Amino acid sequence: MTDPRLADLQASLPNLRLLTEPGDLEHYGRDWTRRWTPAPLAIALPSSVEEVQEVMRWANRQGVAVVPSGGRTGLSGGAVAAQGELVLSLQRMNRALAFEAADRTLTVQAGMTLQQAHEAARGHGLIYPVDFAARGSCSIGGNVATNAGGIRVIRYGNTREWIAGLKVVAGNGELLELNRGLIKNSSGYDLRQLMIGSEGTLGIVVEATLKLAEPPPPSQVMLLALPHMDALMQVFAAFRARLSLQAFEFFTALALKHVLAHGAQRALDGDYPYYVVCEFDAADEAARDAALAAFEQAVEQGWVLDGAIAQSEAQAAALWRLREGITESLAPHRPYKNDISVRIGAVPAFLHEMQALLTQAYPQFEVVWFGHIGDGNLHINVLKPQALADAEFIAQCEQVTKLLAATLQRHGGSISAEHGIGLVKRPYLESTRSAAEIALMRGVRQVFDPHGILNPGKLF
Amino acid sequence: MMKILVGYKRVVDYNVRIQVKPDGTGVVTDGVKLSANPFDDIALEEALRLREKGLAEEVVVVGIGPSDLTAHLRNGLAMGANRAIHVVTADAVQPLTAARTLLKLVEKEQPGLVILGKQAIDDDANQTGQMLAALWDRPQATFASKVEIADGKATVTREVDAGLEVISVDLPAVVTSDLRLNEPRFIKLPDIMKAKSKPIDLIELATLGVDSGDHLKTTHYAAPAKRSKGVMVKDAAELVAALKQKGLL
Ligand SMILES: Cc1cc2nc3c(=O)[nH]c(=O)nc-3n(C[C@H](O)[C@H](O)[C@H](O)COP(=O)(O)OP(=O)(O)OC[C@H]3O[C@@H](n4cnc5c(N)ncnc54)[C@H](O)[C@@H]3O)c2cc1C
Ligand SMILES: Cc1cc2nc3c(=O)[nH]c(=O)nc-3n(C[C@H](O)[C@H](O)[C@H](O)COP(=O)(O)OP(=O)(O)OC[C@H]3O[C@@H](n4cnc5c(N)ncnc54)[C@H](O)[C@@H]3O)c2cc1C
Repeated sequence: MTDPRLADLQASLPNLRLLTEPGDLEHYGRDWTRRWTPAPLAIALPSSVEEVQEVMRWANRQGVAVVPSGGRTGLSGGAVAAQGELVLSLQRMNRALAFEAADRTLTVQAGMTLQQAHEAARGHGLIYPVDFAARGSCSIGGNVATNAGGIRVIRYGNTREWIAGLKVVAGNGELLELNRGLIKNSSGYDLRQLMIGSEGTLGIVVEATLKLAEPPPPSQVMLLALPHMDALMQVFAAFRARLSLQAFEFFTALALKHVLAHGAQRALDGDYPYYVVCEFDAADEAARDAALAAFEQAVEQGWVLDGAIAQSEAQAAALWRLREGITESLAPHRPYKNDISVRIGAVPAFLHEMQALLTQAYPQFEVVWFGHIGDGNLHINVLKPQALADAEFIAQCEQVTKLLAATLQRHGGSISAEHGIGLVKRPYLESTRSAAEIALMRGVRQVFDPHGILNPGKLF
Repeated sequence: MMKILVGYKRVVDYNVRIQVKPDGTGVVTDGVKLSANPFDDIALEEALRLREKGLAEEVVVVGIGPSDLTAHLRNGLAMGANRAIHVVTADAVQPLTAARTLLKLVEKEQPGLVILGKQAIDDDANQTGQMLAALWDRPQATFASKVEIADGKATVTREVDAGLEVISVDLPAVVTSDLRLNEPRFIKLPDIMKAKSKPIDLIELATLGVDSGDHLKTTHYAAPAKRSKGVMVKDAAELVAALKQKGLL
């Protein structure tokens, strides 16, 4: 370890675990995006809040940029370290700290995985309702930093709704205890909410106090086959009117093709252009009848062509895999990802325009559509043809993203619904946020992190 | 062509964490997902496949249980059974009673084949199929992972401790399904609509003249003892000391 900056760090924190092997630098230097070549200075794996603070003091002293790092399942390059930064991984800080039965909160270290948080909550007879396919690897800190959404937003909202308190080490090394689990706290700016979605540019989340909820009643999972995209929001309205929905997700025939090739189990015999996976409360016969009535209505209207319903939790998991397995099944095709949203009311008109735009813009590429359509959130993944070079492919996609961003702007939507801006969407931030907003964000950043140590180059 | 009778029991879903009621009188079923016994789903799937191959003409699902079991049997009809028989009783049913009840239905229906699950995942008894075969005085082929029907015989591959065993039994016979027999299909929503008009016979258990014979009485339910947490030791010396202290060395 010859770098004098690292020698200084090691001298300040003799027990800090530091990694500098090439394999570690590559592993910790990137997330699920594959556009940048990892090149961090080193990887720090602190085991306590004090170590995190000391690392930040060192970074300010030495002028080394720091990339906060969770499970690195991020899809926007937020956790990428390609410029000689120090990666600060929360991986070792992954314990549950306290359960408060009266408050129904669970305080955990930020490196805990989402799935561990689910299990810890269940151990207390409650649930932590934020959920999505990366649960086994993504961290609570990363979820907070991106205001993660997922498959239960329609019922429970985003991560933002479920954070009762945060412990954060700000860019200047100061420890902040934000909101302390209070439900009511009318004492000025809510800095906790400011941290949520800040993508590691304001502070390092070291602990989070999660709100927990009662488990929902037993549910049922359905797969529906739709004839065209126009039917999507009609089915959504019909089902939402009759059922208490927990999830409403969609994907196209092309997505199904990839996920089946990746080992998922076929549920319907025929082939259809669009599919919906939905889950709803089905505690009693009346709820199950309501679901069938909704289905019948949709069939009569010509919005639904076929459907299947899970008879067991195992079958429910098999139906969910058709939707949740998509991201993983596409990964080998190095997809260019769009994660966009509009108001639910604006979805039909927006879908029309998007469909026209993309068929025109991408005649030569496979474009896979899926996403949390019940929240107005679409994932549009463009797959790279094998013959095309990475840089050329991305350049072509970026041209289309400009058009897409303009369309979004007209519909008042967002260029990043839930994955964050990171590096990937940075050129398009102006399509979603006004110049005044961005100037304020920069100002806030300046207050929390005066030397611009945290995640420089990300977000804006 | 033959008729196939299939046992279709309802149990707490395989993936639900079972909780014992605080007073020890049973397990919690309120607000808990109930599903078909997985082995019965497999049994029904096999019967449907035999019918689809033209080897059977009718598949009848049978359930024994309280009045709300009818809704569960409708799932069996939606999956593809032609009709259902619901033997109504509010009492818990032990394997011998189930076998005697099934025998009455067998005498009435004269099936060429009865397919049951190898066991139900609630009591894990693994007895009903064997008892039925004995009472009926017909051959049995349990733990089936493959079933072929030809010339009045069933050739059945059985999963046994030593591996696989293939036996041939004369029909009528009782077959019980093992996990690898097949992968049950999903229920299609349009078939749920169609199932509404399929017939379900309701028969009160009392009217079948079955001697309940349930001489076993459950006195108490309890959760298995929790495994105590592991202890980390620093080195071999501490391990030896700890084992000695526990009298294990
Ligand atoms: C298969 C798959 C499915 C996905 N589905 C969804 C989905 O449905 N909904 C959704 O919202 N996302 C989804 N994602 C994206 C991703 O999982 C989420 O963004 C997740 O919240 C990232 O968590 P992470 O711990 O992996 O964060 P990382 O990728 O490690 O980091 C993400 C950002 O958070 C910052 N960060 C990480 N930890 C901290 C911390 N302790 N303090 C401050 N900043 C920190 C990083 O610097 C970076 O900017 C999916 C990803 C995959 C691979
Ligand atoms: C009988 C009674 C019962 C009450 N019960 C509750 C209760 O249960 N819960 C509760 O939370 N409060 C309660 N309050 C307090 C009070 O009603 C609330 O704080 C209420 O939200 C204040 O609204 P207001 O329009 O009267 O604001 P004002 O008193 O006019 O102003 C309150 C603050 O808001 C600012 N403000 C006002 N309008 C704007 C604006 N448009 N933009 C920016 N800043 C603005 C003011 O500058 C001031 O700082 C109660 C008050 C009374 C008299």
